[in-house]
Amino acid sequence: MADFSEVSDAQLVTSIGRYSEVALAEAYRRHGGAVFGLARRVLNNTAEAEDVTQEVFVRLWNQPEKFDPARGSLRSFLLAQSHARAVDVIRSQNARRARESKDAAKTARGEYDMQNEAWDMSLAHHVTEALASLPEDERRAIELAYFEGRTYVQVAQILNQPEGTVKSRIRNGMRRMRRSLLEAGVNEVEHS
Amino acid sequence: MTHDEANELLAALALDAVDDTEREAVEAHVAQCPRCQSELDALRDVAGALGNSVEPLPEHLWSAISSRIYESRDHEMPALTLVGADGTPLSTRRRTFSARLTRSVVLPLAVAAVVVAVLAFQLASANGRVSKLQSALRSGDASAISAALKAPGHKLIDLTGATDHELGEIVLLPNGSGYLVHSKMPPLGTGHTYQLWGVVGGKTISLGLMGSSPGHVSFTVAGPPTPSELAVTVEPAGGTVQPTTQVVAAGTV
Repeated sequence: MADFSEVSDAQLVTSIGRYSEVALAEAYRRHGGAVFGLARRVLNNTAEAEDVTQEVFVRLWNQPEKFDPARGSLRSFLLAQSHARAVDVIRSQNARRARESKDAAKTARGEYDMQNEAWDMSLAHHVTEALASLPEDERRAIELAYFEGRTYVQVAQILNQPEGTVKSRIRNGMRRMRRSLLEAGVNEVEHS
Repeated sequence: MTHDEANELLAALALDAVDDTEREAVEAHVAQCPRCQSELDALRDVAGALGNSVEPLPEHLWSAISSRIYESRDHEMPALTLVGADGTPLSTRRRTFSARLTRSVVLPLAVAAVVVAVLAFQLASANGRVSKLQSALRSGDASAISAALKAPGHKLIDLTGATDHELGEIVLLPNGSGYLVHSKMPPLGTGHTYQLWGVVGGKTISLGLMGSSPGHVSFTVAGPPTPSELAVTVEPAGGTVQPTTQVVAAGTV
């Protein structure tokens, strides 16, 4: 059986394209925890997060050509897939369940729980610092959008701000985050 | 949607914070705008960093994924029934395929060869999957080909057609890796693929599918000895475990 533990992510995906389940298992070993962690964080539901994780890796199996190594890391690609699917789940639910009753503002101000990250604590540290350095209104807009799975229009309603203002805050905050991470030497989200 | 309008929404798109209508409009612009594509990729990396919170995986989750990919593979991959060129199961008789292979390169085939093909070589599957993946990874393959052409001990094999005109060139390395350097094989219609074969120790084995319009194709020979002949046939899109049509291009290693 081939040993994929030392090969690059791009080579892994090539092997997945040739129907190597061992390669998929290695991709899952490297990135499954992050895919699952993000889905669970957004959905606040373990069973739904497991479904999302399954979808992400089955899709990688069926459509490996969707990953373009020239455009970013496999970790980033899989996290984007996980987030998009988690958001689909949220938005497909007519009632937002207990989530609706949450105090959104309180959630947005909550501390990020980076304690459970087993992977790359330095990245977690840099992300935390970059977030903390953002103006409060930018940080809240980004948190509500990303971790609550809301559109910027919904964020504007929650924060009682004009849509254009929220759109700008998200854009400025994300660009600021980008600069902070670059200055910290983080170019992309690589696997360990 | 204008460039400025789309650019303003890139960050929200990276966070999946736009509705479906806006997402489609922004993505349509991004597909045409390398500058926005580059910025979106960078912003998605930022989003990835935000969401990079690893959690222990439930023990049963991989089993569930593994079961699902087996289901999808059963659905997508060609059945590995050992059948002859005319569809007759090989288990019922002995046969060779020389009558089918009218070019001078004769590819003898036996039941054992089919077994070898299935077990010893990784037969790439669905045609579109392979060609799309190779397209996506083209840059990586191109550099691999460039390295292969400089590697010590490499062999260049010309693939020629029925009238001896060149249809392609393959570079084969001592470690078994091989690459299609270039191809003049005409594109095939949907439902068909070029399939590469090797004659190893007198047996014909599949080296993989080349897609309907071969560009950069890589393959691996499982181990020594290296093939003495290479040949290409046109097969149904999912590929076959043995040649079922005439050889369209071949070369001696």
